Amino acid sequence: MTVDLTQFHDAFFEESFEALDAMEAALLKLDVGAPEPELINTIFRVAHSIKGGGATFGFSEIASFTHSLETLLDELRGGTMPVSPEVSELLLKSVDVLRAMLRAVQASQPIDAQRVSDLQFDLEVVIARRNAPSPAAAATDTAPAADAAPDRSPRWQIRFRPYREMIARGNDPLRLFRELGELAEVRVQVDAQSLPPLKDIQPQDCHLAWTLEVAGRICEQEIRQVFDWAEGDCELVIQPIPAEPPESVPAPSAAAEPAARHDAPAPPASRPVGATPAGGATRSEPPAKSESTLTVLADTGSIRVSVEKIDELMNTVGELVITQAMLSQLGGRCEGPQAEQLRAGLAQLERNMRELQESVMRVRMLPISFVFSRFPRMVRDLAHRLGKQIELKLTGEQTELDKTVLEKIGDPLVHLVRNCIDHGIEPPEKRLAAGKSAAGTVHLDASHRGGNIAVQVSDDGGGLDRTRILAKARERSLVGPNDALSDPQIYELIFLPGFSTVEKTTDLSGRGVGMDVVRRNVKELGGKIEVASEAGRGSRFTITLPLTLAIIDGQSVTVGTETYIVPLISIVESLQLKDTQVSRLSGQGEVFSFRGDYLPIIRLHALFGVEPRTRVLHEGLVVIAEGDGRRIGLFVDDLLGQQQVVIKSLQANYGHIDGVSGATILGDGSVALILDVPGLIRIASMRAAA
Amino acid sequence: MAQADGLKAALCALAAHPEPVILDAAAVQRVDTAALQLLAAFVRDRRLAGRAVRWQAPSAALAGAARLLGMGPMLQLEGAGR
Repeated sequence: MTVDLTQFHDAFFEESFEALDAMEAALLKLDVGAPEPELINTIFRVAHSIKGGGATFGFSEIASFTHSLETLLDELRGGTMPVSPEVSELLLKSVDVLRAMLRAVQASQPIDAQRVSDLQFDLEVVIARRNAPSPAAAATDTAPAADAAPDRSPRWQIRFRPYREMIARGNDPLRLFRELGELAEVRVQVDAQSLPPLKDIQPQDCHLAWTLEVAGRICEQEIRQVFDWAEGDCELVIQPIPAEPPESVPAPSAAAEPAARHDAPAPPASRPVGATPAGGATRSEPPAKSESTLTVLADTGSIRVSVEKIDELMNTVGELVITQAMLSQLGGRCEGPQAEQLRAGLAQLERNMRELQESVMRVRMLPISFVFSRFPRMVRDLAHRLGKQIELKLTGEQTELDKTVLEKIGDPLVHLVRNCIDHGIEPPEKRLAAGKSAAGTVHLDASHRGGNIAVQVSDDGGGLDRTRILAKARERSLVGPNDALSDPQIYELIFLPGFSTVEKTTDLSGRGVGMDVVRRNVKELGGKIEVASEAGRGSRFTITLPLTLAIIDGQSVTVGTETYIVPLISIVESLQLKDTQVSRLSGQGEVFSFRGDYLPIIRLHALFGVEPRTRVLHEGLVVIAEGDGRRIGLFVDDLLGQQQVVIKSLQANYGHIDGVSGATILGDGSVALILDVPGLIRIASMRAAA
Repeated sequence: MAQADGLKAALCALAAHPEPVILDAAAVQRVDTAALQLLAAFVRDRRLAGRAVRWQAPSAALAGAARLLGMGPMLQLEGAGR
């Protein structure tokens, strides 16, 4: 039987990467000297399943490397070798090498063989060193499985639902069960729910299903072998019946295992019953273990769905929203006896639409821990290399945000954390001299703020060096020699391209790339980054991001015949101005007083060159909008309604326009521009400066 | 399985029989899932219709197969006289 295995590759890679993350996390938690057995088991399972997958798919380098790794882990697991700092370091390196190998294979590129073989050699040396003093080790190698078996006598539940045609194909469940019964103790329960009345039965069809409980020294592999022939003719779920609460460790062998069955068909009939093939005895435990975690995973009721499918769904929902808006608009104009009913139905539709939209959005949401999880390792390595002591604090890891946003926020965060460690946190002696604890703290925090998510990276280091930044800026003529800048303005300078105050560039940061890229990335996501700093106390970078990039709540406003959308989140309030509130300041254009403040007015008709209904301020309305901590008044003709709009990129379909963040299609099919409030504020301040 | 069609026909003929049906299964030497499935449907249909089925000395082969498939109770084989 030949099966195209490449179809499983993606799943293998994806799951392997996930598993490596889990392995890394476990390694970082591993206490040198007194390791927790469960952590070692987790690590072992990862190595084991990657080995299995690698072998199945013919990635021999991966299989060979993980084999060495697995051997070492087995020693750790058995307690015959202590977890030393050296071993722990070696294992972390192995994670890196495995990741690199997987990436190379995934991209069909050559593996860095030298790096792999070097590390593999190191692993072998450690294993050999352990084995050398006691030649008996090899002999005892076969014993542990048998010894360990009693406390791990596995019980399995098998749900077996033959397809109708299974019997007709010559696979009699009776024969399978008989064979299983020879291997272990079996309890059978038949499910005859779908057995039709006698006269309707096609005698060749199988209408029964079974649940079997198998107890005894049998591993999943052996069970699967029994059902080997029936494979493809039935639904088969094999699950361990846990004696203890099941662990929820991702096991990456989902793709590998079914494929393995295709790959190595062992005819049950010819297999010596009750005797496992030589060599299989020692290794029979782990597969069962790794499979068990796999089924546990399946049990949590989650499925893997490709992002494209979800995006397609999003898109369709977006179109539906437009259609629904169109219908609502039509319904609002309807008259007659059924109009009320129609409107009630449309209101219902709108509610349902909103729910549907939210549900689909939630599908795309992932906790930010996916990004945060890479930091413990990074911080550990960096601190090690720089000779600093750093404590990493993570909070709000469960905060969810859109997958697209999540993917793009990783790199900026890495830059920021690196900066904190490299520039922010002082060396221990300097910290002690300043009366601080030797270990610096880097704190990553995520939280929801309205429709946004705020991610903060803060440290308790020296803070931004105001004088040095200013000196550097003057040196580069970015700032005039006599310009007086406020602190926030000075901190802004670090976001300029090519700006770096570090004299000696390290390999970590200070190459002059970084903060400007960070800001650009954040801006591309429709977010912003702010910095606060206090000399000697540390600095804090705050990234504010929209939860999603697809849909916003908007207020539609009209100017002449045009409709514009103002994001609801940036609206403070809307009001009609009185003549007395407005004044003209020289060089500042029009301003109006609002709660003791003077806010600039932007006339949208003037900005977009539209003929308005009125140019008299008190005849129209002013929408007070807020962005980047500042407020402006947008002068419009009228307010329409509030609605959710699907953002269509203007940049992708047309080009960038200042003050406009995108476009949307309204219910009547016309296009409305979505206003970019921070952009409008920039325009207002530019005008004020001019 | 080869005789499943025949078995079905025979059982169908008996299905609506008003008197208790006694199945003489002493001579059953081999039985497969298809046959047991038919028998199970037969016994169940009869029971639902309030009509009895009794086994006459079911063979070890039949009892064993039913046990393996977990169908003993369904077939009302338990307690059947040998």
